[in-house]
Amino acid sequence: MTEVLPLCGGRTDEEKAMDYILELKGICKYYGEFAANKDINLKIRKGTVHAVVGENGAGKSTLMNIIAGVNKPDEGEILLNGKRAIFRDANDANRAGIGMVQQEFMLFDRLSVLDNIIIGYESVEKGLFINKRESEERIKAICAEYGFHFDLHTLVRDLPIAVQQQVEIVKVLYRNAEIIILDEPTAVLPYQEVQGLFKAIRYLISQGKTVLFITHKLKEVLEISDTITVMKNGYVSGEISAQEASEVTLTSMMVGREVMLHLDKANLEHDKVVLQVEGLNVRDDRKIMRVRDLSFNLKKGEILGIVGVSGNGQNELVEAITGMRKAESGSMTVNGERLEKISIRDNRLRGIGYIPQDRLRFGSSDQSSLIENCIMGYHLKHLQKKRILMDYDGATKFTEKIIAEYKVKTRSGSDPAGSLSGGNLQKMIVGREFSQKNKILIIEDPTRGIDIGAIEFIWHEIQKQVEEEGVSVILVTYDLTEAMTLSDRILVMYDGRFNRELHGPEYDEKEIGLYMMGGGVDEKGA
Amino acid sequence: MKKGRSIADAVLNYLISIVLAILVASILIIIQGSNPLEAFKEMVLGAVGSKSAIASSIRWSTPVIISATAAVIAQKSGINNLGIEGQIYFGAFTAAVVGAYVQGPGVIVIPLAVLAGAFAGLLYAVLPAVLKLYWNIDEMITTLMLNYAAIQFTEYLTMMLMGLGSDTNPDMIATPEIPEAARLTQIMPPYQASTAFFIGIVLVILVFILYRYTRIGYEWKMIGRNKDFARYGGIRHFKNYLVIFLLSGAVAGVCGALEILGPHLRFRTNFSTNMGWDGIMVALVARNNPIAAGIVAIVWGMIKAGSLSMERMTSVNRILVTLVQALFVLFITLDFKSIFKKRSIGRKGRNR
Repeated sequence: MTEVLPLCGGRTDEEKAMDYILELKGICKYYGEFAANKDINLKIRKGTVHAVVGENGAGKSTLMNIIAGVNKPDEGEILLNGKRAIFRDANDANRAGIGMVQQEFMLFDRLSVLDNIIIGYESVEKGLFINKRESEERIKAICAEYGFHFDLHTLVRDLPIAVQQQVEIVKVLYRNAEIIILDEPTAVLPYQEVQGLFKAIRYLISQGKTVLFITHKLKEVLEISDTITVMKNGYVSGEISAQEASEVTLTSMMVGREVMLHLDKANLEHDKVVLQVEGLNVRDDRKIMRVRDLSFNLKKGEILGIVGVSGNGQNELVEAITGMRKAESGSMTVNGERLEKISIRDNRLRGIGYIPQDRLRFGSSDQSSLIENCIMGYHLKHLQKKRILMDYDGATKFTEKIIAEYKVKTRSGSDPAGSLSGGNLQKMIVGREFSQKNKILIIEDPTRGIDIGAIEFIWHEIQKQVEEEGVSVILVTYDLTEAMTLSDRILVMYDGRFNRELHGPEYDEKEIGLYMMGGGVDEKGA
Repeated sequence: MKKGRSIADAVLNYLISIVLAILVASILIIIQGSNPLEAFKEMVLGAVGSKSAIASSIRWSTPVIISATAAVIAQKSGINNLGIEGQIYFGAFTAAVVGAYVQGPGVIVIPLAVLAGAFAGLLYAVLPAVLKLYWNIDEMITTLMLNYAAIQFTEYLTMMLMGLGSDTNPDMIATPEIPEAARLTQIMPPYQASTAFFIGIVLVILVFILYRYTRIGYEWKMIGRNKDFARYGGIRHFKNYLVIFLLSGAVAGVCGALEILGPHLRFRTNFSTNMGWDGIMVALVARNNPIAAGIVAIVWGMIKAGSLSMERMTSVNRILVTLVQALFVLFITLDFKSIFKKRSIGRKGRNR
């Protein structure tokens, strides 16, 4: 059963002749009756960056997990250096030279970088003691060879996301990986850091490593990869070399049609202030001040974008103005009424809707039906009979309207929300908040991790709300393209403050990126 | 289609659990040197075999129905009220005192005693609720510990009330018997089954209506399924948590009160035969569905009645039945389908 082939050892002439390091033949993977991967054939050339793109649910991650030994294929075989390989688990694949950096990092927050890297692969002395010095030397050598710089003794939780990602990559290299799989590596990174990652990837390639790269961001694919495989509904819909590909060709290969990710914004005048925040200070769970003396306003019919590198206080800002977290000090004025205390319930009663970043924890209840999910918040004032009874007939109609208008793919409103895919769940949440006659919407990362078709749809719906219903929107996002496409005005957040205010409709991505990193600000001894 | 399948899965789960429980019981009975078939026969006869058997089933179902309702109210909203037993004690003690000392016609004294019991159960739930809300102390621990305090404390109150000394025979520690007027009507005289059974059924229906049709029921259900989402939706957490907890305590208090006004007629320490825990187990078996809890509670009462009769008629000990009931609860919490699946597929990837 277990036929694991070590990569090291002399290469025969035959192996040199065919330089595909990894070959997949007829891989199939089923979950019940659902085929996550159907007859996948893939050849990966040694020393190249091979990208796998596709919408969410296209089967990219399933395929990568099969290569990395996390999942087992139901049919088909994997050839590593031309020889058949079967992996019992991820450790098996690791030993064979395949390492994977998961989208959600697999790091222990409270352990040092060194401990995180060597865990499971410690150099052991006399069969009992861990020889950390030897490991440290090896890691330092790897870092020097591939140009990574970080302190091995810091705790992982004190490192920025980009550096945590480097730690993951070094961890994979430490385990002698020849093939490195990166699952959506840029999803967590700001613009500048993406370039850093690409530099590292290029360096890995120059040292003879092979990189498999999954993403659904097309610009990056074109920039970094040599070969691009497009997946759709579980099968490979095409393979193309990066030189020949363009965003348009890739999108149509992915979606099967051309997607309009461009919005024509009506040029409206915004003057009436509907929401004003003054002197807001917010601490996080660890009592660290995350939002410092922040003031801003939102005008009627405006989309205000708030961008920043993750961890610069946007989360706490949103939590404070939605009432999910108590602010240290500051006030909010809604339609001329000054509120000393912000509560989510009062917000809802005032018509302030909220689309949260965490769809599963805050945005829905997976065991509850779509109906129960869709009326949440709206039930406070509507869909009641004699105040104490719920009007479930009305709720069903309300939900069916959301399902139809927002194209939520489901059998019926009584199905549990847990049965929806990520994109459909998000459409349901967006539909809910947009259908509750809200006047102000606080929208956080509305398109994270969902496919292009759904992104296009949600963007258009946001614009429709603003232009047709006169709704005002605060859009907090980590996706710069999204912020630039939708916002009338962008506030760049850095270290708990707004570093810069920019006015649309045209924005310069590099300029915003610079402000996000704290650039362009008068140095205040920081 | 999917819904039909999930109901079928649930039924399958119950059947497998029953078969496993009976199997374990049979083995234990054989080890004790008795005939399992004979024991089961006596159990069935003891539950439904005669008028007295049916009365006994109703008598033992009653407290379980009500305490299960108390458990459903708490657990449906994710509150672990393990203090139902203690709340029953306070409800029972208070109702016994009111019933024994307030003079008047039954239509006044009985409701008064029941309400007093409910209020006492409610009060005894205030402490863990407040500890949880203000200091985030786990209610699972506080309610559990407060059960022991309740048993001791009501015993102390009884001794104080009756002027008893510490050298009193434990069996003598009891409140005075409540007068004829304050007793619940027996529905099948001379047996102990009383109108409390109907009160239990009414409670089950009320709780069913609460969750099925009312706004507050919707909110409470949603709190239990995802309290962060409920908060996000503008549902007041603090207020609702307190109300749910206290309501659960009040229903438990009613359970204790009716137990005194019906069969017991006086408060005696250790009068409760674990009925609070039975309620929690029934709610667990019924997956917090109020109607299902009512039905399971009746079955629970029948098993209890049957086991009492079995103990009289055969040499099998009643404790065995309690043991098998507990095993049944254990089995029911297992998801057999997924266990079989895991076996056949092996390690399944967690891909979402």
